Amino acid sequence: MNLFSNLIAKAGETLHWLYIYLGVARITDLLDNVVVVVAMFGGTSLFVMFLVWMERKVSAHMQSRIGPNRVGPLGLLQTLADAIKLTIKEDIKPVNRDKIPYFIAPIVAFVATFMGLVVIPFDNGVVVQDLNVGLLYIVAITSFTVIAILTAGWSSNNRFALLGGFRSAAQIVSYEVPLVLSLVPVIMTTGTLSLNSIVLFQKTLGMWFVVPQIIAFLIFITSATAEANRAPFDIPEAESELIGGFHTEYSGVKFAMFFLGEYIAIVVSSAVAVSVFLGGWLPFPYLSAWPVPGFVWFMLKLLLMIFLIMAFRWTFPRLRVDQLMDFGWKVLIPIAILNILITGALLLFFGKGA
Amino acid sequence: MITIFNYFAGILKGLWNLLVGLSVTIKYCFKPVNTVQYPEVRMPLPARSRSMIKLIYDGEKDQFNCVACMMCAKACPNSCIKLEGVRMPDGKRRMTTFKLDFSTCIFCGYCVEACGFDALTFVSEEYENTVYRRGGLLQDEQAMKWVRPPHLAPKPEEVAPAPAPAPAVPGVSS
Repeated sequence: MNLFSNLIAKAGETLHWLYIYLGVARITDLLDNVVVVVAMFGGTSLFVMFLVWMERKVSAHMQSRIGPNRVGPLGLLQTLADAIKLTIKEDIKPVNRDKIPYFIAPIVAFVATFMGLVVIPFDNGVVVQDLNVGLLYIVAITSFTVIAILTAGWSSNNRFALLGGFRSAAQIVSYEVPLVLSLVPVIMTTGTLSLNSIVLFQKTLGMWFVVPQIIAFLIFITSATAEANRAPFDIPEAESELIGGFHTEYSGVKFAMFFLGEYIAIVVSSAVAVSVFLGGWLPFPYLSAWPVPGFVWFMLKLLLMIFLIMAFRWTFPRLRVDQLMDFGWKVLIPIAILNILITGALLLFFGKGA
Repeated sequence: MITIFNYFAGILKGLWNLLVGLSVTIKYCFKPVNTVQYPEVRMPLPARSRSMIKLIYDGEKDQFNCVACMMCAKACPNSCIKLEGVRMPDGKRRMTTFKLDFSTCIFCGYCVEACGFDALTFVSEEYENTVYRRGGLLQDEQAMKWVRPPHLAPKPEEVAPAPAPAPAVPGVSS
């Protein structure tokens, strides 16, 4: 029935025969896990490369330009060229850096965001590990990036980097609160933290959570943009104020890791928004008769979501630090708490399923 | 109470403003872009743009239109036009050498205006005039030779007054 699941099953069978052919007994799941990790890593890297190209194209078209168009068809290989350039570049390090944190920070920034992909359901049941605390796990693991950014800013021994790190800490600590609070009404309604179950709940409910929880959705995408350090919330790396912010002193592969981490953070937060509010792998309304695998629907919604976040970046001016704090604490958090209260009251009156 | 109302009204107003901004950028995102890929795609320039001064060569008569009346050289504020002419056996004057130093030319167009024989003109398509050495800016009649394509032929009403000033230039210096 489900094309993508069948494909995954076929791939599993092929893998099984490959093991037999190679004379490797399938005694553990270790080899399977390695294959899954490699596939996730490769797929994500390719997707991020596509996203960088897409971002440059979107920004160009919003400014009535063409954007990258020289390397490969439509400039699609531009990101590959940039990636090669970054990897073969000399790794310039400040002499007075704090050596170990300086080395670890980009790795943490990358790994912390990448691990968020583990619980994202790409199709019905197609999850690397369907944790029953999925949402909590994602919120917990993605907030590790603030440690990475603060470490990077501290160990670079550069005043701009340090300022960027401090700003990032203040921002992410502030915006983590509305991010979690905006997810609470959905969790209250569904009674589960597993992303796949939340999507299934939307299937039985007959509508996506974006309809009853539009306020929570708006709060979520706002604070997700802030979490990913994206404009208009990009004060940790505000290039007109802080040069490069926390990654001022990073170059070459280490800078590429920060960059990759930033884009994966966008992917993860968009994927959470799609799963929780936009029905995940469910088809669009009135189109459920189409024989399209859920994976395609998921990717379509993901791309739409990412396009919206890109549009934010190229539309809104950057907030000042005090405006940022005002907005987070005086607007987002009270509204989110009010939303929880109203949802709770409605659930109490009408029972579950409202 | 009014404070609370203002609080929510402010949020809604802000949200509306953000949506207006987003609608503008997203609208532009799907509009065709204005960029022209220059070396591959060339924009047609307006017919009157002052790109390059050229000497008109008459392909049928196999000669330049210029009769070396020196009006252009006199009109030039920078004296960057040098030309010589001879009197042909049939009594008509012909230009022999024509030199225009584009390093001092300011493209004011006085020479084109002064020309009474439809011999000098601005050519709008010839706008790639950079040279690698300064000497390349000193152009002679061969470098400035330009045959007027048929679609740029002057309209009859523009041609008619053109010969009129010709007799009115008795001061054709020898």
